[in-house]
Amino acid sequence: MTDEQRRERNFLADTGAVLKGMATVFKQTFRPDDTEEYPKVIAEIPERAHTGRHRLNRHDNGLEKCIGCELCAFACPADAIWVEGEDNDPEHPTSPGERYAKDYQINYLRCIMCGLCVEACPTRALTLTSYFEMAYTSREDAILTKEQLLEPPPELGTTPGAKEGL
Amino acid sequence: MTLAIDGKEVTVPAGTLIIRAAEQLGIEIPRFCDHPLLRPAGACRQCYVRIEGQPKLATSCTVPVAAGMSVQTQASDDEVADAQRANLEFLLLNHPLDCPICDRGGECPLQDQALAYGPGDSRFREAKRVFKKPIPLSPLVALDRERCVLCARCTRFCDEISGDRFLELYARGAGERVAIAAGEDFRSPFSGNTVQICPVGALTSVPYRFAARPFDLTYGDSVCPHCSAGCNLRVDLRRGDVVRHLARDEYEVNDAWLCDKGRYAFRFPDSSERVTTPLIRDHGLEPASFGEVLTSIAGWVDRGRVGVLTGGRLMDEDYYALSKLARTVFRTNDLDHRRDHGAGFVEGAIAGGGMPVTYRNVEEAKVILVAGLDAEQEVPILHLRLRKAAERGARIVVLHPRRTRLWDVAEHIPCRPGDEAWLLEKEEGRHRPEIESVATAMREAGDAGIVIAGPRLADHPQAVDRARTFASDAGGRFAYVTRRANDRGALVAGVHPWLLPNGRSSIDEDRAEVESVWGPLDIPDRGRDWRGILEAAANREIDVLFLIGVDPLRDYPDAALARRALENVPRKVVQSLELASLARYADAFLPAAAFLEKEGHVTTWEGRGQRLQRVRDPLGMSRPDWEIFASLALACGGDLGFETLDELHEEMGTLLAPRATRHLAVADTGAAPTPVEDGELLLFTYPLLVNDGRLSEGADELKAALADPPFVEIHPNNAGTAGVADGSDVRVTTAAGEATLPARVTEHVSEGSLFVPFDQAGFAANTLLQGRFSIAATIDPVDAPADEDPVEVGAGGAA
Repeated sequence: MTDEQRRERNFLADTGAVLKGMATVFKQTFRPDDTEEYPKVIAEIPERAHTGRHRLNRHDNGLEKCIGCELCAFACPADAIWVEGEDNDPEHPTSPGERYAKDYQINYLRCIMCGLCVEACPTRALTLTSYFEMAYTSREDAILTKEQLLEPPPELGTTPGAKEGL
Repeated sequence: MTLAIDGKEVTVPAGTLIIRAAEQLGIEIPRFCDHPLLRPAGACRQCYVRIEGQPKLATSCTVPVAAGMSVQTQASDDEVADAQRANLEFLLLNHPLDCPICDRGGECPLQDQALAYGPGDSRFREAKRVFKKPIPLSPLVALDRERCVLCARCTRFCDEISGDRFLELYARGAGERVAIAAGEDFRSPFSGNTVQICPVGALTSVPYRFAARPFDLTYGDSVCPHCSAGCNLRVDLRRGDVVRHLARDEYEVNDAWLCDKGRYAFRFPDSSERVTTPLIRDHGLEPASFGEVLTSIAGWVDRGRVGVLTGGRLMDEDYYALSKLARTVFRTNDLDHRRDHGAGFVEGAIAGGGMPVTYRNVEEAKVILVAGLDAEQEVPILHLRLRKAAERGARIVVLHPRRTRLWDVAEHIPCRPGDEAWLLEKEEGRHRPEIESVATAMREAGDAGIVIAGPRLADHPQAVDRARTFASDAGGRFAYVTRRANDRGALVAGVHPWLLPNGRSSIDEDRAEVESVWGPLDIPDRGRDWRGILEAAANREIDVLFLIGVDPLRDYPDAALARRALENVPRKVVQSLELASLARYADAFLPAAAFLEKEGHVTTWEGRGQRLQRVRDPLGMSRPDWEIFASLALACGGDLGFETLDELHEEMGTLLAPRATRHLAVADTGAAPTPVEDGELLLFTYPLLVNDGRLSEGADELKAALADPPFVEIHPNNAGTAGVADGSDVRVTTAAGEATLPARVTEHVSEGSLFVPFDQAGFAANTLLQGRFSIAATIDPVDAPADEDPVEVGAGGAA
């Protein structure tokens, strides 16, 4: 095959590919839109998705389920959890038994949402919620304290700036 | 004796237990109650093995080997494995399985062995035994009886090792438990060891309670900074803060034990009073760079006369650098690490004398004379070795003005402080009767006879020498035991007014040996000792006073002299972890690294050099002492000749290599025994184990458990004469000052003497002293308590 013939053959093949691509573009252009309008519209999340921020749970009587055992910190592959145990005040216990968590922090710059901590928790104190809006403007903000984790996460879409799409 | 375990042959000495023989083969047999330093108990029944030819399984921790024995462990015999599984299921019947909140979780022999050898599930569905948990045995140790597997390690430790029999197994069957007498506190200075050897979480440390998990910890091997015992320990850190000390097994030194001070006084490196920035006095003490501070100091040194005081707590490397700095750069012999007469003129021989007595020698001795040492309070691990020697049948004689905790295993010869010297002296070729029997026994024992001279003897200028002569006359060994962690290292390095490194004197050919390494020395033959330095400072004969890891106001037995020295010397340079009471006086401060922040060696009382790892980086700007000395030398226009630890070690190796020592005849300048006139008592003092020292800072639980408030011990005869009742306040007056202290009237202190602890919270005994740890004193009752015996009041009136 001469060079002339080869060039002609490539030209035809390339034109075919371009046309095929253009056809795809046209087809997609006139299809109904599938975009999720997050954060203006927040799609329903399956009830038990458990894919988001942690929560520290309480017993019905108000005592914290967390006993400060640090097994979550042990299980954590990203070293994202910090727990400090302390003796319960027998008169005003924070949790059942001898030990409670004096300090409990999760660093969401490290957390990889693998859920091993939840598996490790012997008292079901630590669970995952479906709250996924974890964007922070400073390192400090990304470390959630025990007080924050004991509260249920805010409604999705209420994070400052979320509505504006910032 | 040769036997086979799992078909593998091993040869061990007769009397070896099967479990030890298996260890030698690397065969692991699970166990809880077995401990190599405790007598066999067979309490936990976990270490079952099959001995061929015997109908039933046997516990390998109680059966000694026999020749030709064939043993099967769980690895080769299913029935053994079954029995061990069943036993673990049994041990776990009543175990609460509260591992998540148990301090042992993660480093628990029960947890580990239940995983390795246990059944994994239990058939026991009924309610478990319940106890109140935890109960405090003392401010240091908590007991959780639910977790206990009744291995009796703790009770056996108290019986066999420390002799402080506080813990006992109580009741039988399912209700059996470890108990302490009602109202009693676990007041043993060795209580922490029971926590470390507990194979479950039944005994836990209160200071470590819920502080960390094993996986939180970083750790390093170190040596205890407290006394000259030199215990090997592990420092555990959580995020850089020390959370606990654990004993490391070192059978040549501390076996597997630590005293409670070594274990629980660990917070001082993280104290809030620690200063980690160099400071220089301008208007007040202000932060500065190392360069600025060192330049200022160099300026002062250049124009002035220098004196150097230090304590006994730096490392060998630091002391060597300091010794060289003082001699080659400051050109002075005015440096001292002691605070008493030391060993007098045998110090040179001791410094260069290697290790004449080791812990092993003590353990294997037949006769031991302990003179002037309260071992339990001053070198606790040596106390345990003495007890171990007694256990093995050694005859122990204690010559001490106050009864020591060896009372139940030793003979006690009471004496007035300072009398030890003449008691050990020969009179017309013979010793006094009470000593003669010891001398005879020593002669029979040969080198299994040991004389241990303690710090009480160093209060008398010749007493240590007498004790040494006593030992050599009888053909025995001799050891001089000091209190602080590296007193010996300081002596060896030549931080001393007339000794250069390795016990070389600063005169004659010894000096030439040092000069061959250090270069020509422009120093007087003999410098001032600590007392001379303080006096010179008080008289403004010294311009710059270096205080390296020492607080003269607290450490020296003359508070008034120390204060005058600090007030009069123009420039004071403090190098330490903190300023504390020196904040008012310091003109410059150099922040030193704590023991766990530097690499180096310390020397035990035996003379054994032991290595410390750098467990964490020095805090802030603090630096190892020897580095600061090297920088200071450069700032002063000199050069110590080493910049790295390796270079330093190389040079130390040349000068500190073992050598023949001589008994140096240096003229003694010390005084005679402390004079006491009629009607006066002889007050003596030494620091108790748990005191108000700076290294016990933050060890609140330790102090709550073991610290005594200040007191004065008086013999009943003297108390009667003075009209002092037990528990009442008494005014103690000496030439230096007076103090009002609660009296303890006891026969445990020798007649004619008074004992006050040196440094208890609220009372510094050195305000009563004038340069020695003993002084003549009088006592008066302060106000007679209402219920006092009228006879005693009458006697008091006569006095």
